[in-house]
Amino acid sequence: MHRLPQTNKELTERAGYFEVSGAHLYTVLHEVPNPVARLLLVGPFASERQNTYIPLVRWARYLAARDIEVLRFDYRGIGESTGAFDETTFEDWSQDVRLLSAWFAQRSPAVPLTLHGLALGAVLAGRAFDQGIGDALLLWAPPANANLALRSTLMRWVGLEQIFKFGNNRRSTADYVRELEQGSPLEVEGYQWSTRLWQESFGFSLPETLKSEATAELAYQRPVRITTLGKEAAPLAKGGSMGYDDLKDFTWLYAPHADWIAETASQFTMAGAHAASN
Amino acid sequence: MQQAIEKRELMEVEVLGVRLRGTLHRPAQSHSSRPPAGGNQERIAVLFLNSLALPRAATGDSAVYWADAVAERGYPAYRFDLPGLGDSDGETTTGLLDFINSGGYAEIAAALTKELSARGHLSGVVIAGHCAGSVSALYAAAGCRQCSGLVLMDPYFHLPVAKRPRTRELFSDWVRRSAVGKILSHLYDRVRQFRLLLRGDALPSNANTALLKRWKHVAATGLPILMFKAPGIKATASKPRIGEFDYLKHVLKLAGRRSRVQIKTLEVADHSFANRVGREAVCLGIESWLLTNFPLEDLATTAVPASPSSFGCKQGNSTMTLRPPSNRDCALEGR
Repeated sequence: MHRLPQTNKELTERAGYFEVSGAHLYTVLHEVPNPVARLLLVGPFASERQNTYIPLVRWARYLAARDIEVLRFDYRGIGESTGAFDETTFEDWSQDVRLLSAWFAQRSPAVPLTLHGLALGAVLAGRAFDQGIGDALLLWAPPANANLALRSTLMRWVGLEQIFKFGNNRRSTADYVRELEQGSPLEVEGYQWSTRLWQESFGFSLPETLKSEATAELAYQRPVRITTLGKEAAPLAKGGSMGYDDLKDFTWLYAPHADWIAETASQFTMAGAHAASN
Repeated sequence: MQQAIEKRELMEVEVLGVRLRGTLHRPAQSHSSRPPAGGNQERIAVLFLNSLALPRAATGDSAVYWADAVAERGYPAYRFDLPGLGDSDGETTTGLLDFINSGGYAEIAAALTKELSARGHLSGVVIAGHCAGSVSALYAAAGCRQCSGLVLMDPYFHLPVAKRPRTRELFSDWVRRSAVGKILSHLYDRVRQFRLLLRGDALPSNANTALLKRWKHVAATGLPILMFKAPGIKATASKPRIGEFDYLKHVLKLAGRRSRVQIKTLEVADHSFANRVGREAVCLGIESWLLTNFPLEDLATTAVPASPSSFGCKQGNSTMTLRPPSNRDCALEGR
């Protein structure tokens, strides 16, 4: 049996519940004794959680083994968190990011905080960063808005649905979108998408300044890295072909980004020390 | 951060040298006017295992829903990630499907059952699993005295191929889209049906004989087993696709007369059982089965007929109309 590379460090992972209005968020803190940086992992949309869970847990462990403390969590109404998905809004999930960032940034010792968002999480992390949260921003596969994240999930789901359908019984993504837009909720992989959620997703965008690294760094004066993920990054990116039990080695993706996080944190710390000495 | 909230508690258990993480759904006290004598001694808990590589919440968080519902009814429910999956420690391997199909998780799932039984002072544990999780549950039950019952959702008794060649996928897609493909598909089924007739009762070459052996061992002892079946590709929940070997019929025959196997066919469910009507049907099925086989002392006289609200199952907007099944990400369907 082929085994994937493992980290050797004995690491502490603490799962807990974080109380927010009307719900408890499930969190896992990958604790590091003397961290060089902290990273809040802002994950993808509901249905994508199950597909990306293992690569993201491994990413968190990879970082923790390199002295970067990580906090990952489930949005309210999803996964291990409590709350009703049907009643949750993008604004609620934004609030989850803000509240957890604030809690995480207050941990001691004070070290730079990176927000890292994947897919829909990139929109949420980008918007939080735009509001002044975090010292650096890392985006993987950011869509321009939440609707694109929902749409790609829908397309994948429709593809799976069609496996069971023949000829005229096969419905297209456009058919389901029409249904949603006409006011009928749509159940996608156990999650009830409301028309409200769909409509709100169009206006829930990544800030314009985050369309490129150059404009972002200029505007925010804080490090920003934006990475487009190709099919080879499936299941972190959509469209790639995977077997049911493919558990990939993502070291090629983890390594350069871990280096970038450590490097930006080090620059930030040095700049802080320089400013203090002046 | 809190380790526990009103109805749930996060757990870490060291089993066979591996740290496993999971969630306990505490049983509702409102269903019990007094604690059972000797704490939980008379109590049965339900343990949900991962379905293949999915985290313990499962597709659409259906396992969370079921565990909440079971606990609401008075039975403690645990959901644990097996090694290398979800939040648990342990090495993740490629070839996970083969690993599971050969009983790779049997030992640790059995040890976990034993540990939870001891920690919770339980009289036994019902092990529940979906798809590949049901395979692990069955293997574990065969080697575990503390296992008091099994809930198996769409178990399979053959050795599926984890990844089909791309050309085969494309061909299958073309078959499903085109009118000619539909005819070819029916023709293919008939040819397979003919071959099946020639073969008689002989098992297909890709049957998981080791698993079937465990099944025979476990079912024949009279262990209560509840099995849910959802429709597959060109198949109903109760009947396989034309030309496919009828494993359901075969395992019932293997189980023998003493067996206590109950099968629920859910035409409204998809393979994941995560769609609303599907997961509600699973809720109701588990409830009535638990009450029949493991009645709670203080509930025995007050047990009410199964209904979604009585089991904490939320009533969705969906009606119980037949819906075409979905594949979902597990996708062992169509194997």
